[in-house]
Amino acid sequence: MRLSDLAPEHRAYVRTLPASPALNRRLRALGLRPGVAVQFLRQAPLGDPLQIAVGETFLALRRHEAEQVFVELAS
Amino acid sequence: MDCHRCPLQEVSGGGRLCVTVGNPNTGKSTLINALAGANLQIGNWSGTTVERLEARCRAAGVPLTLVDLPGTYSLIPTHREEDLTRQELLSLQPDAVINVIDAGNLERNLYLTLELTEVGLPLVVALNLMDEAAAKGLTLSPQALADALGVAVVPTVACRCQGVGALLSEANAAKRPTPQVRYHPAIEEALGALTPMIEHPARRWLALSALMGEVQAHLTPAAQAEAARLRQALLQRGLDPNHLIDEARWAKASALAKGALLGYHPTTTLTERIDRLVLHPVLGFPIFLVAMLLTFRFTFLLAEPWIGFIEAVQAVLGGWIVALSLPPMLASFVSEALLAGVGTVLTFVPLLFCLYLALSFLETSGFLARAAFLTDGLMKRLNLPGRALIPLILGLGCNVPGIAATRGLEHPGERLRTALAVPFISCGARLTVFALFAAVFFPGQAALVVFGLYLAGMAIALLTIALLGLLGRREMSYGVMEIPAYRLPPASLLWRLAKTRTLSFVRGAGGPILIAVTAVWALSHLPAGGEADTTLYARAAQFATPAFAPLEIHDWRLVGALVPGFVAKEVVVGTLGVSYLGPEPVEAVAFGEGIQRLGRELLASLEATALAVPALVGLSLAGPAEDDPPGGLAAALAEAVSPRGALAYLVFILLYTPCVATLAALRQVIGRRWTAFSVVYGLVVAYLMAYLAARLLS
Repeated sequence: MRLSDLAPEHRAYVRTLPASPALNRRLRALGLRPGVAVQFLRQAPLGDPLQIAVGETFLALRRHEAEQVFVELAS
Repeated sequence: MDCHRCPLQEVSGGGRLCVTVGNPNTGKSTLINALAGANLQIGNWSGTTVERLEARCRAAGVPLTLVDLPGTYSLIPTHREEDLTRQELLSLQPDAVINVIDAGNLERNLYLTLELTEVGLPLVVALNLMDEAAAKGLTLSPQALADALGVAVVPTVACRCQGVGALLSEANAAKRPTPQVRYHPAIEEALGALTPMIEHPARRWLALSALMGEVQAHLTPAAQAEAARLRQALLQRGLDPNHLIDEARWAKASALAKGALLGYHPTTTLTERIDRLVLHPVLGFPIFLVAMLLTFRFTFLLAEPWIGFIEAVQAVLGGWIVALSLPPMLASFVSEALLAGVGTVLTFVPLLFCLYLALSFLETSGFLARAAFLTDGLMKRLNLPGRALIPLILGLGCNVPGIAATRGLEHPGERLRTALAVPFISCGARLTVFALFAAVFFPGQAALVVFGLYLAGMAIALLTIALLGLLGRREMSYGVMEIPAYRLPPASLLWRLAKTRTLSFVRGAGGPILIAVTAVWALSHLPAGGEADTTLYARAAQFATPAFAPLEIHDWRLVGALVPGFVAKEVVVGTLGVSYLGPEPVEAVAFGEGIQRLGRELLASLEATALAVPALVGLSLAGPAEDDPPGGLAAALAEAVSPRGALAYLVFILLYTPCVATLAALRQVIGRRWTAFSVVYGLVVAYLMAYLAARLLS
């Protein structure tokens, strides 16, 4: 499933990152990379962007950016 | 532009050169503030709008120059400003690098630390924000981390100056680190072939980044070619160097972080508890609006008494000059050109200082990142990040800090579009003109007219952003950003940031404002001895007036007032008063009487400042003083122009160049050419919109 499909408090593991080199590099620099655990925190009042936790880092990313990140729900 | 003119090499000649490097939001500015105390100097990186913090101090008797490099997550940058850090590190070759890392977020911060071990400069790690890590429930062993990394690790709490002294002495004794990451055998083999070809102390890091496909200026063409060949060879074997190198660093960072962790008891942090409220689906926006409102209240309540004081000083000085019985022309020049010019510059100081104080607080406390998160959904429609709304909102108070705040935007294109839009946002100064005209021509609907003008200004600003976005190169705007923890920034840092930003404005804008005020004075007083309608100013205005006929403005005095309005909108009403009612003679003031008046004004300002604190939270003990509307002027205006012309006039005032100070601020951020464009564009838009406004009201 996609990172944008997660519901609040859901935990998941990242499987693949966006293909766009610039976005890919930016996400990696912030610690979002395949294998790491992420937690969906909330969406902004207007529905976009989304706030997620990657380790100890809180990230904001737009829905269309989160749609390009594939994740696997943690059991 | 407020750049540091002296190159760093010369600065370092006086002692050791030490730089701080770290991820954004690790408290680097707070740390350098704690290390430097009053020696902190804030400027800009040459040719950029990135703030540059530098300090000279002594550590154990050794003179030391400290430079704060811009925050970055990796030495391989994701945007231009992060690249400064890489460039400076590689070209400066400082005597020591202080790597500031967030103790509460070790793994991500250690990625950069590992890169620094490959750069090979003498290194010491400041394990900062230890208090936050403890609040998160983390128990860490700095010693374990030091042993694993092979460099000194000093635990610090920069905002409370803890560990800062120890850090300085470790920085003096910093040793060259050994590279910590072992890569895939194929990568190590390629490195073995490439590193001997690089003549630079950071050869291992340079070789790695060349294998990752980065072009590095420090490599010879032969080394570049070899790197490209090795990279291709790896790719052909199905090995992606970028992936292998990145993963190896992350794995090592993760192992180091685990090794330094003694215990973890997860708790709900204060940041998360505040965010539940501030980013709440329903309460989020109201809280944001209240915070912006408080920012303005804070600014105006604190600044107004001092603006009043500066005006009083100006009046007393003018009175003394008149009392000197100089030749009238000279007295007029000194009091109306020089004093008025300096006074105009100075009246900005309290206003800007308070706004910058509030802005620095919002920025360093983490609130601005939340505001960007809330508003991103709106701004993405304009292909801008949420952060771009802040300059537009600040512009409502004064355009100058609004334009300065565009520095917070990452891409030059985003900065340009936002900076060009800010001048259309109506500021406090334009309100003085709106209030007068609306009361005269639209009694009963005055508030509606003023509100409509504010909305129109905002709409034109947003349209400008959208239009420039269509014309310019398409630049992807990201929503990806870190949302840092809430922090209470040290008051001394806020004070220094606000002071520097204000002084930078005075240096940049002081000259242009003085020149503009003097020019306007010359226009309206030459040729000497002429009547009010034969001065250069009057003749120029009369010459330009036919051009304003389509806007239903036929009186040269109204057109003329637009010229001083170019200097500052506050003077438009005063100029109209002089044109219609004749000059108000400056009263002579005796020396002793002047001193007494200044004393009274100073006391009144101090009292008003003290009363501003309860007023901030809503307990208005002293209402803001209302200026008396000039009765004669209202009658004269009502005869001079029709309501249609008056509306067109207000729209013109709203949209053309707000003031010289704004232009000076624009020049600092977007350069001379675009500032010139802004003037022309503003005049064209103002004329067209005023024309439409005159047609609107039939």
